Amino acid sequence: MDTMDCKQAGDLLSEYQDGTLDPAAAAALDAHLRGCGECTGSVGSLLAVRELLRGLPPDPAPPELLARVLAAVEAEDRDAGADSAPGGGDASRPFLARFRIPLEAAAVVLLFASVYWYQRTPTPPARPPSAPTAQAPETTPPVAISPDASSSAAKVSPTGIRLPRGNPKKPREEAPAAAKPRTWAAEDLPSLPAIRASTDSERIVPIAPFHGPSADPGGRGTPAFEVRQSAETEGGADFRLSRSFAAPSSRLLRPLRYGRDIAVDVAPESREGAEERVAEATLRSDGIVERIERDSETGREGASGTIRVVLPEAAAAGFLDELRRIGTVPQENLQSAIDIPAGPRPGTIAYAVRIRVR
Amino acid sequence: MEKPGGKGRPVDLLVEGFRKGAPGAFEAIVRAHQDRIYSFCARMLSDREDALDAAQEVFLSAWRHLSEFRGEAALSTWLLRIAANRCLNRIRRRKSLAEREAPWPEPSGEMMEEGFVFQPAGGEADRPDRLAEACEMGEILTEALSRLDPGSRWMVLLSDVEGFSYEEIATLADVPVGTVKSRLHRARMAMRRLLSPVA
Repeated sequence: MDTMDCKQAGDLLSEYQDGTLDPAAAAALDAHLRGCGECTGSVGSLLAVRELLRGLPPDPAPPELLARVLAAVEAEDRDAGADSAPGGGDASRPFLARFRIPLEAAAVVLLFASVYWYQRTPTPPARPPSAPTAQAPETTPPVAISPDASSSAAKVSPTGIRLPRGNPKKPREEAPAAAKPRTWAAEDLPSLPAIRASTDSERIVPIAPFHGPSADPGGRGTPAFEVRQSAETEGGADFRLSRSFAAPSSRLLRPLRYGRDIAVDVAPESREGAEERVAEATLRSDGIVERIERDSETGREGASGTIRVVLPEAAAAGFLDELRRIGTVPQENLQSAIDIPAGPRPGTIAYAVRIRVR
Repeated sequence: MEKPGGKGRPVDLLVEGFRKGAPGAFEAIVRAHQDRIYSFCARMLSDREDALDAAQEVFLSAWRHLSEFRGEAALSTWLLRIAANRCLNRIRRRKSLAEREAPWPEPSGEMMEEGFVFQPAGGEADRPDRLAEACEMGEILTEALSRLDPGSRWMVLLSDVEGFSYEEIATLADVPVGTVKSRLHRARMAMRRLLSPVA
């Protein structure tokens, strides 16, 4: 008995011709087909189409296909070398070549781990902020590097200055400053650009002797210089003082990345201590001394020293007046130095004051 | 015609020879299968150059991965699977074909009920009976196949031309067997209508 209509039958014709209908559905469709000429015709045409498709001969491949395939294989084989010989797989590859990528990955991981370990090297404990200052030792080393500043490759001070990394295993001897020097608040201090990061110096601020007898308890007439601490070890803007030293005379003068060169000519007899006088003038102008370079033969004609200082822009004129009291400043230098302020941050001006013996 | 999944074919010896590094083994494999693979690609892509590129990719991929071929299916089946994937990827990427097929929404609603899954002929000259007068049967079939939507075309090619089973196609397409059946049914009905003047 026919139990399905043509719509139902039509939905089953494709599977019917494939022979994949379950027996019950196939029997029902057979029953329908016996009484439906249209659906029977559909089955016939479907079978005819399939026979046509089954008999569709393959198109012959263009002759260039084989040539192109073989050329591509040869090129890839050449690129890959012997490691990727056809059918070879890993078995034919050199042992280390199998681990090429993992080795490279391991190298990268090792590199990162090294950097991480380096950065995490524990820092020596910071000195308490209230550590009393004491007299400088008899033999003042040329450079003092605070151990507090040694914990990182380039710490950033509250002023934005990137301080150099010291040797954490060899904290150097410290000489507490004789008296607390004048300091800027953090926001007033000039920040140095990253390009100023160096590995050999700290920021040095002269301690003026006019602060009182305690400024130079050693009585040698040589002002001490404090070593600025980094922001991390100082806990913010409050700079603590450390032992102060002058920069070694052997230190090479590096080109100033910013600021103006200015010369101060001094007589041979007043050459001694000229750098210190410039440093004191800097302090009186609310500035800081970044570095002092000394010529070893300070008494000879033409001998020079250089003091790098940074000042508030407004204090530039007063500072230049101070320089004129120390020596002779060429007028052209003065004008350009005032007109073109160029400090490490807006509102500051930096000078490389060169002491010349004339 | 080689039945998919068959065993003991001479081409298996070529695969073994390739694995052992026998000179000329891979070239012999290409020669044995290039017509079939190229035909499949040409019917799928309806473009000779595209088919040539796709067939080249198929054999190059086979060369790279033949060492991983375990022989669960015939080599021709394996190659056709690669070819189907390559052609479908090309169809997806090919903007010109996409534009050509743009009037072809996924069959639904009335179109589904009418079995209207093939691209309608553009004009009188495109009618199958007119084509039959001008072309050989193979060309008519190829033309009719090209008017199926790509998602159904490759199933018809694999099922009715290459002899793949529903299950094999479902595995290859990553769709349920029921989906393969319904798509094949619609495509076959469309082919029947398109070829009715000659079939």
